Amino acid sequence: MSFARKLIRAEWRLFLREPLAMTFVVAFPVITVLVLGGVFDKDDPAFGGATPSDYYVAAYLGVVIAAVGLVMIPVHVATYRERGVLRRFDAAGVPRWAFPFSQFVTGLVFVLIGAAAVWVTGLVSYGVPALHDPARVLAGALSGALAFISIGVLLGVLLPNARAAQGVGMLLFFPMFLLAGGGPPPGAMSSTMADISSWLPLTHVIRAIQEPWLDLGTNTDHIAVNLAVFAVATAWWMARAGVLAAPEAAVA
Amino acid sequence: MPATNEPAVEISGLTKRYGPHVAVDGVDLTIRRGEVFGLLGANGAGKTTTVECAQGLRRPDGGAVRVLGHDPVRQRARLGSRVGSQLQHAELPDRMRVGEALRLFADGPLLDAAVEEWGLGELWGTPFGALSGGQRQRLFIGLALLNDPEVVFLDELTQGLDPVARRSVWSLIAAIRARSTTVVLVTHFADEAELLCDRLAVMRSGRIVAEGTPDELVDRHGPGISLSFTLPDPDVAGLRAVPGVEAVVVSGARVEVHGRRSMVAPVGAHLVARSTGDRPVPDDIRVTEPTLESALIELLDGGDTPNLVPEEVPAS
Repeated sequence: MSFARKLIRAEWRLFLREPLAMTFVVAFPVITVLVLGGVFDKDDPAFGGATPSDYYVAAYLGVVIAAVGLVMIPVHVATYRERGVLRRFDAAGVPRWAFPFSQFVTGLVFVLIGAAAVWVTGLVSYGVPALHDPARVLAGALSGALAFISIGVLLGVLLPNARAAQGVGMLLFFPMFLLAGGGPPPGAMSSTMADISSWLPLTHVIRAIQEPWLDLGTNTDHIAVNLAVFAVATAWWMARAGVLAAPEAAVA
Repeated sequence: MPATNEPAVEISGLTKRYGPHVAVDGVDLTIRRGEVFGLLGANGAGKTTTVECAQGLRRPDGGAVRVLGHDPVRQRARLGSRVGSQLQHAELPDRMRVGEALRLFADGPLLDAAVEEWGLGELWGTPFGALSGGQRQRLFIGLALLNDPEVVFLDELTQGLDPVARRSVWSLIAAIRARSTTVVLVTHFADEAELLCDRLAVMRSGRIVAEGTPDELVDRHGPGISLSFTLPDPDVAGLRAVPGVEAVVVSGARVEVHGRRSMVAPVGAHLVARSTGDRPVPDDIRVTEPTLESALIELLDGGDTPNLVPEEVPAS
């Protein structure tokens, strides 16, 4: 079996044993969507024509993606750097693409798990809205997941240790989650907050999923933003970690 | 396997800088196949940087490194599992179990053999975070030797271990010696190097200041041997005239004779020759041999050390 396949299996098991990851990727979105789905009146105009529960079920797939990218992966990558696990891989002659590749694969699997948990929660509580354009929803979710997993690897590479990664990850996660669609609906925000929201990467992830799902618009521009974020973040961590460059940088 | 003259690791003129700091400054080394070679020196002497360059983990600023005939940076793929490494400050995730770590790096007969050889079966389901220091090092040695490498680098294996765990790790290294593996052992413990290494090099400030077998280094740089005994009326002048004697110190009836190793038999003969019925040969003669540690202290505390590397290092 190739090292990459074995690493993905090992990483999968480690994430399953990581309470922080399971809490934020599965428990937090499920509980929050249950609460928020029932808070607002069904005809509240702040949701742009969607019912609150439909809006939140669709939005919380994006929140799952943010939890994977901002809470789960940065701590993991920073821990590996801090403890010299990546040096061990390097000394063992492991190809340098194997570890980031394993983060993308396990990250996508955890996005699927979190999304399934939100979906099932919707089914048994408020109902799950019909997918208006499933292909575009899938493209939106995939582009968003790639962008946030790459942001997660970047944070893990940039921050000095696991504690810093956890702290900064949380600091980014909560405001972004509240302003990008996981908290109050856009129609309930002040214009300043709505402006800030439009600049957040998570806003584009959530809209890329919500718009084709709930027939609120086309998501092409949001997918483009997601892919641009993915490209910039990936180029950044590659340059810093030297995954495909000199061994010196991979060690540092 | 006894050491051969065929080189496993060849380093010539190796230089490595970190900003303005020169970590390794023109190091030349040849490590032969089958030997346990020690790289000894204080913290910050440049030992780890030297072996990291040999492992292809750092790119040298100058000089050349060959491991099994290949450049460890440019020809990593050719070296592959022929080189094993135990790195300083390189751990595993706390929640990863021993069996998972081993399976990550090998499978099949090689894995089974390593598990049996290093007694890792009993730790198979234990998470890394729950292992003791000695158990961790046993796992790291097992990981370094998992694919039956020809050269293995072991960096500060016993740092932070208690004396019992250190001895346990030493017995593991002695077991590696019995294989055909070339071992490069980085340590700052002189007793460890003296016990385990066939040859060693001493580094200070990024340079090699001495190289040879442990006995050669002790002979060349050790403080010399001393004999002490009780003799009420010693012939100090006669003792000083014995070949190899450098100093005689008398304190009451206690006599200490300092000199080179070659003086031991002549001093004994001198005491026998001067013995009488009233003044027998002392029965409390104590010989204090110099150790590698004492030689190391002389070497590393000796101010500006001249170039002490012999022109030709005799085969061990």
